[in-house]
Amino acid sequence: MIRNKHMNRRELLTRGVATTGMVMAAPSILRAESYPSQNINVYIPTREGGGADRNFRAFTSVWKEKLGADFEPGFYPGASGRVGYEVFMGKAEPDAYNLIFGNMGPEVLNWAMKEPNFDINDYVYFGRVDTDPGCAFVGSESKFTSIEEIVEEGKKRVLNVGTSRMAHPASIGILALGEKTGAQFNLIPLSGGKNTIAGAVTGEVDFSVLTSGSVIAAGDSVKTVLVFGENRVGEQLNNAPSINDHYDMQLAEMLSSRAFAIHRKAIEDFPERYEILKSTFKETFDDPKLMEAYVAAKGTPEYLNYGGEEECAEFVKAMLELGAKYKPLLTGA
Amino acid sequence: MGDTANLLASVFLDTISYWWVIIPTIFLGLIVGGIPGFSAANTIIILMPLTLSMDLQTGLIFMVSLYSAARMGAGIPAILVNIPGTAGAAATPLDGYPMTRQGRGQQALAITFVSSSLGGLLTTVVALATMPILARVGFYMHSVEMIVVMLFGISLIASIAAQDMLKGLIAGFFGLMIGSIGTDVVYATPRGTMGFLELYDGVPLIPALVGLFAVSEAFIIIEKKVILTDEGQAAMANPSWSATFEGVSIALKRWVHIVWTSLIGLIIGVIPGAGASIASFVAYQQSRTFSKTPELYGTGHPEGLIAPESANNGVTSGTLVPLLVLGIPGGATAAIMLVVMQFHGVSFGPSLFERQPEVGYGMFMAMMVSYLLMILTILPLSRYMSRVTTVPTIYLAPMIISFTLVGAFVPREYMFDMFLALAFGVLGYIARRTGYHVAAILIGVILGPLLETYFLRALKKSQGDMSILFSSNIGNVLWVLLVLSLVLPPILKLKRKRRDRRLATLSGDYQ
Repeated sequence: MIRNKHMNRRELLTRGVATTGMVMAAPSILRAESYPSQNINVYIPTREGGGADRNFRAFTSVWKEKLGADFEPGFYPGASGRVGYEVFMGKAEPDAYNLIFGNMGPEVLNWAMKEPNFDINDYVYFGRVDTDPGCAFVGSESKFTSIEEIVEEGKKRVLNVGTSRMAHPASIGILALGEKTGAQFNLIPLSGGKNTIAGAVTGEVDFSVLTSGSVIAAGDSVKTVLVFGENRVGEQLNNAPSINDHYDMQLAEMLSSRAFAIHRKAIEDFPERYEILKSTFKETFDDPKLMEAYVAAKGTPEYLNYGGEEECAEFVKAMLELGAKYKPLLTGA
Repeated sequence: MGDTANLLASVFLDTISYWWVIIPTIFLGLIVGGIPGFSAANTIIILMPLTLSMDLQTGLIFMVSLYSAARMGAGIPAILVNIPGTAGAAATPLDGYPMTRQGRGQQALAITFVSSSLGGLLTTVVALATMPILARVGFYMHSVEMIVVMLFGISLIASIAAQDMLKGLIAGFFGLMIGSIGTDVVYATPRGTMGFLELYDGVPLIPALVGLFAVSEAFIIIEKKVILTDEGQAAMANPSWSATFEGVSIALKRWVHIVWTSLIGLIIGVIPGAGASIASFVAYQQSRTFSKTPELYGTGHPEGLIAPESANNGVTSGTLVPLLVLGIPGGATAAIMLVVMQFHGVSFGPSLFERQPEVGYGMFMAMMVSYLLMILTILPLSRYMSRVTTVPTIYLAPMIISFTLVGAFVPREYMFDMFLALAFGVLGYIARRTGYHVAAILIGVILGPLLETYFLRALKKSQGDMSILFSSNIGNVLWVLLVLSLVLPPILKLKRKRRDRRLATLSGDYQ
């Protein structure tokens, strides 16, 4: 039976407002339900072809299956990673479709050296992929075969030490060793991991320090002599000793740690998207395919180490404190 | 020895059987190399899903062919419309474009194809034969030695300035000043960036390159009907295959020149971090220094075209040496190849040739076969490509502007870079109209930051002691050669003048 009922003005207004509200809200409701409806742009603050590139591709090859969207990397190198972060914070829309894949070690140390143009609390690391201790290594043809020989020589003359950039956890590691032993080390920034390895191999510098994952990937061109943390891979790092064990030190692990970060505004405006990102990120770690992808990419699966927002925040805090302590040595002040 | 020869022969034959991959890749490489902003490196990145899905050998052949072809492709627009596709082709238009304007574009293309192919082929063979020795070059060429190599390239400014010393030097120093924009290499402190984040990593090369050369050229050619001179138009009126054969003949007659300039490229290529831009400027400068007719350089002299093109293709094979032997990529494209090959489970380094010799030798064989097939496939096209110079400038100039602006945008995807290219275009136009040489500015922009990097690195190593610049034997030999290359040409010129005067006097006495 059809009821012949006329709509009064109040009813019209109420239904009209409700309908308008639904129409207005529909896109965000639909977007929320269908997130992600497009590929995720990932800002990488280093050059293509390096450790970050390799790491990113291996991890996202599995994560994309969980998330249901692909990841498109964009490389923004320059000023020790500062350019990538500035572009991400200044130009990328805070809509959870834009992420940054950074290295919480050297890049956060950078903020301790010189504050960026944005508030560092305006972005949040939410997904730690790995923790990779720094190490000291020599070229395969170097006259040095052990850290003892290096320290002995460093007591006689100033040794030139290649590093990816001044503000790097591995740089702090070698400076701490110098303080402990009295050996003199002169840091030479060689702009990037590849150049740092090349510097040690070709003899441009006496030896180099870098994240050990990149050193392992360099194969038998190099020999590791000391790890600024625990040697979790044994033979792959030539069974090099840990700095704390070898020199009876209490130094915190000098780690590089690659992690995905997001705008804080995106977390606030799109909490449901953030949850999807976090949960799929975690699921990726539970998938054995991740290990396979890492092995295939010549990565170091032992360094895979899941961390959520809390663990990342702790890491960032520790790096900022470390940076403040070593600032005079790393800035030449 | 016999086993290695057998292995090489079998890898070579096996590589030829992949002609169906190589030939389409050559055309792809020529296209991406010719478009400013695109390169083998970013094409491999874009096509990485495809490359990773190929089997190891196909992927390897694809990447190497693309790399070689893109290097050659960059020279085509540099010659025809004064747009160097990459920094490695920045020295190519110095003589290539004047040839085109004279209606000798077809010859210029043939010269560049032959010298690039022969240079690439020869250096690949040399690299293959002397790989263990070549890999040692990087062990002796450190920051001190590289400072002198940079100065060889930068001294080209002085040669350019010879025609008008003051203006040439002003242009060169202006370029060096622009090159110092960006963050410093030690403490990453921004300098001269005027608050632009886009300049933190230095002045981007492609916008500077296309702005100074191509955009300024477009502003100039719009004042004419075609880019060709009157003689050029007459020469292009009746195109024939003979011009291509003439170009081939010109190049082949100068085979010695191809050999030694490509070897300069090979040696610079094996030094990690050095690249095609350095090699092409150094080769051009050396070619001019040892030429009997240095005054012809910059006017459309074939040797001024052969030198940079042979050298930058020599770099291509050179960059593979540290990658394969030491596991250190010699350049950006080699670094991307390293990532792809690692995904295929290949470990580079000293033991590669023991573990997977077919991969190590395969890369060189792929390069050899690519160069062989390239010369056969591309040479016939020179006649048709050169026709672009007859397009009226009312169509050509806007096309150049739009292509170059897109090219300026592509490498970093910043709108800023398009405006920067236009700004460099205006700067280049003013420079040309007032008699300043844009090449002198560009040399400063390209080589200045590299010189600064090596200089600061050397000083950091010596903790500020300048005597480090003269602390190495190889460096000192290079210093002497540099001084000789600067001092000898004017002395020889003076001697030649005196001899000519004496001969004129003698002949006058006889009359």
